[in-house]
Amino acid sequence: MSTTVVLPPEGPTIEPARTELSKSAAKYAKRKALRPYLILTPTLLLTIGILIPFFAAIYLSFTDFTLRSSDYSFIGFDNYVSMLQNPDFWHSLIVTLQYAFLCTTVEMLLGIGVALLLNEENPISKFLRIVLIFPLMIAPVIGTLIWKLMTNPSVGILRTPMSWIGLGEFKWGASPDTAMFSLVLIDAWVYTPFVIILVLAGLRSLPRSPYEAAMIDGGSAWFVFKNLTLPMLAPVLLITLVFRLMLSLQEFSIIFALTEGGPGDTTMSLSLLAYNRGFPFYGVAEAIPIMLFLWAIVYLISFILIGFWRKAQQRASGVA
Amino acid sequence: MASVQLHGLTKWYGKRRGIEDVTLDIADQEFITIFGPAGAGKTTTLNLIAGIVAPNGGGIRIGGRDVDGLEPADRNVAMVFESYALYPQMTVFENMAFPLRSPKHRTSASELDERVRRYAKVMKIDHLLKRSIQALSNGQRQRTALGRALVRQPDLFLLDEPLSHLDAKLRHSMRAELKEMRSQLGTTTVYVTHDYLEAMSLGDRIAVINQGRIQQVGTPKEVYFMPASVEVAQLFGDPEINVIDARVKSKPGGLRGLQVLGENVPVGVPADVVLNGAETVKVGVRPSDIDVVETNSAANFHGLVYSFEPLGTKSVLTIDAVDGTRIRALLDGHRTFDVDRRIQFRIDPYSLVFFDVERGRFLAKSKLKGEEARDG
Amino acid sequence: MNESVSFFGLVGRVSKTVLLLVYALFALFPLLWMIIMSLKPDSQMFTTTFIFSPTMENYGAVFLRSDYSHFFFNNLIVSVSAVLLSLVVGVPAAYALARFQFKLKEDIAFTILSFRFAPEILVILPLFLIYQKTGLYDTYFGLIWVYQLITLPLLIWILRGYFEDISPDIEAAAQLDGYSWWQVFLKVLLPLVKPGLVAAGLLCFIFAWNAFTFPLLLSDARAQTSTVVALRFLASDTVHYGQVAAAATISALPEVILALLIQKHLVRGLSFGAVKG
Repeated sequence: MSTTVVLPPEGPTIEPARTELSKSAAKYAKRKALRPYLILTPTLLLTIGILIPFFAAIYLSFTDFTLRSSDYSFIGFDNYVSMLQNPDFWHSLIVTLQYAFLCTTVEMLLGIGVALLLNEENPISKFLRIVLIFPLMIAPVIGTLIWKLMTNPSVGILRTPMSWIGLGEFKWGASPDTAMFSLVLIDAWVYTPFVIILVLAGLRSLPRSPYEAAMIDGGSAWFVFKNLTLPMLAPVLLITLVFRLMLSLQEFSIIFALTEGGPGDTTMSLSLLAYNRGFPFYGVAEAIPIMLFLWAIVYLISFILIGFWRKAQQRASGVA
Repeated sequence: MASVQLHGLTKWYGKRRGIEDVTLDIADQEFITIFGPAGAGKTTTLNLIAGIVAPNGGGIRIGGRDVDGLEPADRNVAMVFESYALYPQMTVFENMAFPLRSPKHRTSASELDERVRRYAKVMKIDHLLKRSIQALSNGQRQRTALGRALVRQPDLFLLDEPLSHLDAKLRHSMRAELKEMRSQLGTTTVYVTHDYLEAMSLGDRIAVINQGRIQQVGTPKEVYFMPASVEVAQLFGDPEINVIDARVKSKPGGLRGLQVLGENVPVGVPADVVLNGAETVKVGVRPSDIDVVETNSAANFHGLVYSFEPLGTKSVLTIDAVDGTRIRALLDGHRTFDVDRRIQFRIDPYSLVFFDVERGRFLAKSKLKGEEARDG
Repeated sequence: MNESVSFFGLVGRVSKTVLLLVYALFALFPLLWMIIMSLKPDSQMFTTTFIFSPTMENYGAVFLRSDYSHFFFNNLIVSVSAVLLSLVVGVPAAYALARFQFKLKEDIAFTILSFRFAPEILVILPLFLIYQKTGLYDTYFGLIWVYQLITLPLLIWILRGYFEDISPDIEAAAQLDGYSWWQVFLKVLLPLVKPGLVAAGLLCFIFAWNAFTFPLLLSDARAQTSTVVALRFLASDTVHYGQVAAAATISALPEVILALLIQKHLVRGLSFGAVKG
């Protein structure tokens, strides 16, 4: 076959010359297109199964269901209205926001600081990098347990050091003034390693060339940090922020283990409030709107922050 | 061994056109090159033949049967990927043995062993069989990938830019090896490359593809000397062909003359060039067909040296013509030129390729004093 | 840019190390102290701090003479099963999300991820009722099912990154070599993501093991886990602090050991989605 077949090149295609697919080709194309959905089927089934309680929750929130009797009736938005009129609810909202804000701020600042310190190559840092994730591995409840023991008036190891700095009578979780502080302390103890891991991974994945260029151009350490490190690190920082914020807004186990929402209702976050309504008091339907409200907040904040995260990613890839 | 027919193949990626209306007839045992710049649609075409992606239109036949509905595993096609796609955690032996272990092939242990060793020897990697592929050089990896394809004794070979990641010297020697392998094995092969030297030296025929469409299919000589369009002409040859505007003037006696480069130097249009009365054309002049002369003559063009690049046996001279057109000439390496020197040069009318002005399509080229003189 | 040669450089380095050690003390001391407490006999509990004669009697009391071991095994069964279920369901899902381009992809990915953020109590309130009605309350199965909210998103999040790292050419090559898609998945892809599987599996195990709220409210004497029960120790038995510490240590030990084993993969897995986006 050596005859020249010269096909004239066409100009801009006005109407694409489409040859029809044969039946077998069409079937094959369809098979390929369906594959992702087939593979995802088990997950989708599981997801639907998991979504059932959510829908059930929404349904129940419009009823007066309690755990005492099995008959119930629709009461429309009554639960929502009474929730919004209840001062306890607003107090809990403030507590929740306070808790989340304090925890996240402390953990982010501390975590970034420690990550920067750990980013060196010396034996201490290398060792610590491995060992410092332990608090994250412990169940938050167990962590609370340990701190409770440490601050125990009879056997706690912290009695003596606290009296050295004049805080011998520190009541930790038992006093309304110090309860929030104690909670944030424990939360920070457990979750700061999380921030450290992510930020450290981010630091180590930063490209070298901008830094080398800065070294040649001569920038101070602070300049480099502000204009190179921070923008390139922004996506990681934001996603860490999202995670910590979302989880601390609905933290339950630590608060439950230390104070159960007390003393009184000083640390009664929304989760604790809903728990109290639903379980000791059987008011399941009442409790649900509280949680739906919390979830809505979590969703909204994460939505906004993820938007920032996307923008930060684009900017970061521009810098690098 | 099998023939391959591509008919009206079209593939869209969302809104982007991958390839469109690609029709190609490949004979059994033919070695055809698909050549084009990056993004032209070469890899897409290979993926369609292999069955890795499904087309939006058109069909494929291998060995006379429709393979459109067949999974890649059933098409009896072997492909060497540009990235080699070797199985990372396995040794060279295991990589080459993997296809033979598949349910499609079911080879006995002894035959498997014999075949792997045989082809490893052909690829000259039989001393590396126990090595993990992480420890291989690029060239060795490429041979392993080739070996893995050979071991299956498929109907059709698809090679996707196999030499592009090798350094120049290795590329040269691999080209020779590929040619030898080809003559020994005789399997139908589709070879994709963006390097025109590879395309011309390896293929029986070249299919030039650009922006998803086939521009020309022909032997290396045909594609080089009779390019279907200005685009195709520019893809072959380094330095690129010079394409300049020209005016056709009628002369007494049925002769025609060409006015180019702003001078009144007589360049006669060869008698066998059919132009259908076009008054303006574009002409393509290969840099090797421009001759820089020392002796004066009415047949000389004039120009100024813009730049001079000595390249060993050859050198490239960039000339500013009288009307400002910049053209390049490929000259023997012994001559040297200073920048801004005035020179004179000639153009051989029998080597000119004529293109139409609007679409840049091939119009004519003289067959007299043509390819035969250019052999070698 | 002078480094460690100058005096200020040295001071800087020393203070950096000091700060680091201060944090390390904060992070690790409680754990050390917990172990110390667990080894202290009751007799020396109130009188000594760091110098004492260690004993295993607390562990004996907790593990052998109370029902703690029952809850420990509950936790083991539930956590391992939850992880296995997540592996079976999540690995193909992670692959699909990594490879395929289809319309609902990012929506599905976001939905799965959002499970992680749903308030536990929100899920528990209706689930409590449903479980009572369907008899899933206080059963292994009930817990394993709920634990998917914890383990599945995490697993998919981690593994997706590992799958994205594999060149699609390798899959195509294996298919051409004569393997069907499933065979390619089992023989080529899974071995390549093995480090990811290990990291994800163990990390999910750790989080499942640490779950508190779900077992607290959705299980009782039969299926309850050691994490919940440990708290009970402190609430009820306020005298045997050594035993409390021992219970806490037993609960914390498996995961610390696991974390040590896979710490390299752990970091890679956790940060994958975050760093690569």
